[in-house]
Amino acid sequence: MIEATKLSKTFTTHKKEPGLKASIKSLFVRNTITKHAVKEVSFRVDEGEIVGLVGANGAGKTTLVKMLAGVIHPTSGDARVLGHVPWKRSNDFRRQIALIMGQKAQLWWDLPAADSFLLLREIYQIPEPKFRATLDYLVGVLEVKEQLTVQVRRLSLGERMKMELIAALLHGPRVVYLDEPTIGLDLTAQRAIRDFILKYREEHRPAMLLTSHYMEDIERLCKRILIIREGEIVYDGLLEKVVQTYADHKVVTAHLHKRPEPVKETDELRAMGQVEKCNDLLIKLRVPRLRVAEVAGELLKRYPVADLAIEEVDVGTIIEKIMRERSA
Amino acid sequence: MRLFWSIVGVQVRKRMAYRTDFWINSIVAFAAELGVAYFIVAAMFSGGDRVGEFSRHGMLLYYISVILIGKVVRSTDMEHVIAGDIYDGSLSRYLVYPTSFFFMKYATQIGSLVPSLVQIFLFGAWVPFVLGVPEGLQITPWTVAMCAVALFLGNALHFLVTYPIELVSFWADNCWSLMVLHRIVAGLLGGVLLPLTLFPAWSQKVLAILPFKYMFSFPVDALLGRVTPAAFFQGVGVAIGWCAIMACISAMVWRRGTLQYTGVGM
Repeated sequence: MIEATKLSKTFTTHKKEPGLKASIKSLFVRNTITKHAVKEVSFRVDEGEIVGLVGANGAGKTTLVKMLAGVIHPTSGDARVLGHVPWKRSNDFRRQIALIMGQKAQLWWDLPAADSFLLLREIYQIPEPKFRATLDYLVGVLEVKEQLTVQVRRLSLGERMKMELIAALLHGPRVVYLDEPTIGLDLTAQRAIRDFILKYREEHRPAMLLTSHYMEDIERLCKRILIIREGEIVYDGLLEKVVQTYADHKVVTAHLHKRPEPVKETDELRAMGQVEKCNDLLIKLRVPRLRVAEVAGELLKRYPVADLAIEEVDVGTIIEKIMRERSA
Repeated sequence: MRLFWSIVGVQVRKRMAYRTDFWINSIVAFAAELGVAYFIVAAMFSGGDRVGEFSRHGMLLYYISVILIGKVVRSTDMEHVIAGDIYDGSLSRYLVYPTSFFFMKYATQIGSLVPSLVQIFLFGAWVPFVLGVPEGLQITPWTVAMCAVALFLGNALHFLVTYPIELVSFWADNCWSLMVLHRIVAGLLGGVLLPLTLFPAWSQKVLAILPFKYMFSFPVDALLGRVTPAAFFQGVGVAIGWCAIMACISAMVWRRGTLQYTGVGM
């Protein structure tokens, strides 16, 4: 459904030093810098898949999404979305995609969302019965019936995002680009949006490409992720494999029966693993995968353990680590 | 066409969403401009009874007409909107819609004309009855019909001239000064600041082939019966010719510009 082949995008921007002198100089001479926002990126996304695009600010996530949505032209490379070249912007292509930008309102700000939906019906030429059925379904699932007639600018951020989702999905797109759909939302609204995306994916099976800074979005929604760093894809694979591949250790936490003296960070403890925390109530160690069982046994033998937990390292931490390694 | 009227409808509703602004724009702004026109005419005629071929009465009628018609032609609410869309990345959402950006913006600017049309029907229609039509001028159903055609073309031509200027934002980020320049030039050479007949005789042929006359002066002259049927059809032909030229230029600039577009702000 989405196929990118060696897709690259280079931007040239002006550079200006601070200060009045530099401002005057820039009226006559301008220095430019070239930024390689996306470098020879190749991947594919199939029907029914939600792929998470993960990376730091400025890594090239949004630029990639913009190219695949046909908003901007690439500098080089090729892409096919539903068999179309996105940046040729054929109407047939545009009728089958949706772009949801969490940071950019797409609805008409001064009107109730219902008015925007009527206009979108005409733009996408959605037959009236299909429009009614889809609208009723989306409004019902997202629970925003009461807000349909309220001016968009008067809605809460969460309600507005729900309306944006409805606006983007009214025409039943087969490819959906979600750029930070939960940004700025409170936890309840984030959860509602995530639940909706999952439900929608199950029922309609579009290909979805999701960018988000919230690891919970990625963990809840995506089985597969692309990690992008300085415009390059540094990891393309299953989310669970990231942990297995890149986390060479686990976290072992021993909760202790209350002791009169806190546990000291002794050589004996350091020999078991990297000590993250130790006090009178718990010992927390980062232990190489192969030694987990052995260390767990040692802890049980040597300390008054009340409870023992062995956990994978947080996926967000691992992703951060991958990005750090590559930049170094 | 259904989409066109839907966009017009949305814009009309948007303009009516803020009733204070709507009525200020419809009544207060018009009253203020009427006052300005009165004082300009009073100053022009302080030294005599006639300026060129205009009597004081005729000049007042000309200015009121050009104010009202100018509002319909210019659709002031739309100024800098397209450039702003490019500048802040709002254009991105239009690029994913399966329809033409030009088409959407043209329909939007037609919808923005509502306050101006309210002014024309509420205030413009009674002006000739109160002031009376001076000797040498005439307002008849035929001149009103000619004016309507010229007004439609004037609005389209103004949009088509403004559109590629706003698209300069693809390269220059901000083209506000170009828009101001265009407004001044169009106002001067289109007959908003002064009736074109007051310009020197040698300039009349040049003014007749430039597009600006067909935005403002031509519809007003058509309304006041200052255009013969032959001159009217000739003027319509020139206006259509300019619309075609500007449409070609717009398409070219758009094609090149969208290659440059980076969608910043998205």
